[in-house]
Amino acid sequence: MSIAEEYTDTTDDSRFERGLTYLQRNSRAYLLIAPTALFLLAVVGYPILETFRLSLYQSPADSNIETFVGLQHYAEIVDSDIFYRLLWQTGRWVVVGVAGKTIMGLLIAVHLKGDIRGRKFFRTAFLIPWGIPYAISAVVFRWIEHPQFGYLNAILLKLGLIEQGIGILGNPDIAWLGVVVADIWIGTPFMAIIFLAGLQSIPQELYEAAAIDGAERWHQFRYITLPQLKSVILIATLLSTIWTFVSFDTIWTMTGGGPISTTATLVIHIYQVGLQNGNLGRGAAYSVIGFLFLFVFAIIYLRVYTRGGDEL
Amino acid sequence: MTMAGHDRSGLRKVRLYGVLLALLGVMMLPFYTMFSSTLKPENEIFSAPATLVPSDPTVQAYLDVWTQTDVLLWIGNSFVISLGTVALTLALAIPAAYSCARNDFVGKRTFLLSVLVVQMFAPVVLIVGLFDVITQFGLFNTYLAVIIPAAAFTLPFNVWMLYGYFKTIPVALEESARIDGASQFQILTKIVLPLTKPALVASITYTFLYAWNRLLFVLTFLTDSAKYNIPRGVFSMVGALQTDWRMMLTVSVIGIIPLLILFAFLEEYIVAGMTAGAVKE
Repeated sequence: MSIAEEYTDTTDDSRFERGLTYLQRNSRAYLLIAPTALFLLAVVGYPILETFRLSLYQSPADSNIETFVGLQHYAEIVDSDIFYRLLWQTGRWVVVGVAGKTIMGLLIAVHLKGDIRGRKFFRTAFLIPWGIPYAISAVVFRWIEHPQFGYLNAILLKLGLIEQGIGILGNPDIAWLGVVVADIWIGTPFMAIIFLAGLQSIPQELYEAAAIDGAERWHQFRYITLPQLKSVILIATLLSTIWTFVSFDTIWTMTGGGPISTTATLVIHIYQVGLQNGNLGRGAAYSVIGFLFLFVFAIIYLRVYTRGGDEL
Repeated sequence: MTMAGHDRSGLRKVRLYGVLLALLGVMMLPFYTMFSSTLKPENEIFSAPATLVPSDPTVQAYLDVWTQTDVLLWIGNSFVISLGTVALTLALAIPAAYSCARNDFVGKRTFLLSVLVVQMFAPVVLIVGLFDVITQFGLFNTYLAVIIPAAAFTLPFNVWMLYGYFKTIPVALEESARIDGASQFQILTKIVLPLTKPALVASITYTFLYAWNRLLFVLTFLTDSAKYNIPRGVFSMVGALQTDWRMMLTVSVIGIIPLLILFAFLEEYIVAGMTAGAVKE
């Protein structure tokens, strides 16, 4: 109040004054969002700035001495072979993972849509892989794929498809597939639940009309279900892309990025370089590159989400 | 309906349930592997090739696990971390969401969209910066080192979930209470929050699960093994040379039992929470 009065006779500051009165009138509204805003600024905003700053320094985690190196980290990263290998490995991880989750999710949702007895039971059961710790799913898949004692090898041997046990996670050529399977399993329930909700909002009359026209089931799926589900699929795959891109726990628990870094993605490399090797500056530079990817995803997401001028 | 039509729809039903059960079977296989392995005696679990059905089932692993591992400690820590995160998140999210739902003010849109963007910022790309901040504030090796970042990354969901729900509650209810002389705080706790129950349950469940399930923060900010949660405990059992699979899988089964109970009772709320934001009516 007193600050506002101080400025009452200076016309230059009338905008400032009006701003203050506005703030006062809405003080309660601002006070209530302030804790959340400040908390997020401190816990997310500040680390973001700190990451940018660190990326310009040589900063070993075990000492307090930081040396300014400018853009050297970025220059070295762009010049290194490992960077392009990481991009390729991250790309195949995301594309195969998201495709697998989408297809499995659609399959489940389409079959759960109708008048199913015990749908609640099915829905709950399909939900479980999504809701348990990634580290637990990861060790279970490690166990399934165990070269000597695993169930997968036991089944393949029984079927006569192989003659001796194969070690999937130890093989640089196929280890990433062994991890991606676990990730698809974990990510499928989210897709199934979202698609199911989307399917249930499609007007039933569309199908009835198509049935009268004698449309086959595949055609119904192709010409009614898919187009009607388009926006839901778009948002769900976008979210899934982000989550798959940043997936850490599963890879870290199953392989730690090995063998010979073939299952490492960009975020795994951030952790290895920044925290495991204690090269905070280089890890921060990789993080900034990660930000760039997320920034692009976020822009697309916000575009899709707020499309059509929906009010917030 | 003709006979042929009836037959065809019957056949379709059989096929539908057949596919559903097959899909369910595929999704449940990992659980079968985990659970059936824990029922094998030690010499059978380490026999190659694996037996697909335990030949001599025993619950011995479930008796040994309490003394041979720290599973009780890990579950206790998981509860501390999850409940702490829920408390902190709700304390921040409820006032913020309520304020946005009831007032129009400059910066509201910016605030809500910024909160949404936080959700895009996955913890792992922020972990190097967070590590610096957590050590600067002297939080390393405290529960808060895990609770604070977990709360930050569950806040977006909570704020949006509650904001959307608060908007559906008629203002008239609050106004009549105000005329009766109720304070702002009383109105929130006595009138608004009870009506918000479905959204609150979805929020709490989501936040609880998030904090229960994540490994990253505990892995990075808690090196003191007395503070390990379930995921970190399981991770610590993965040996470089040797892994006690029997105990590790038993801990895993025990670690997901609280979650299965949660799912059985709160499935509808969880689904409502998952679909909010992705599916618009």
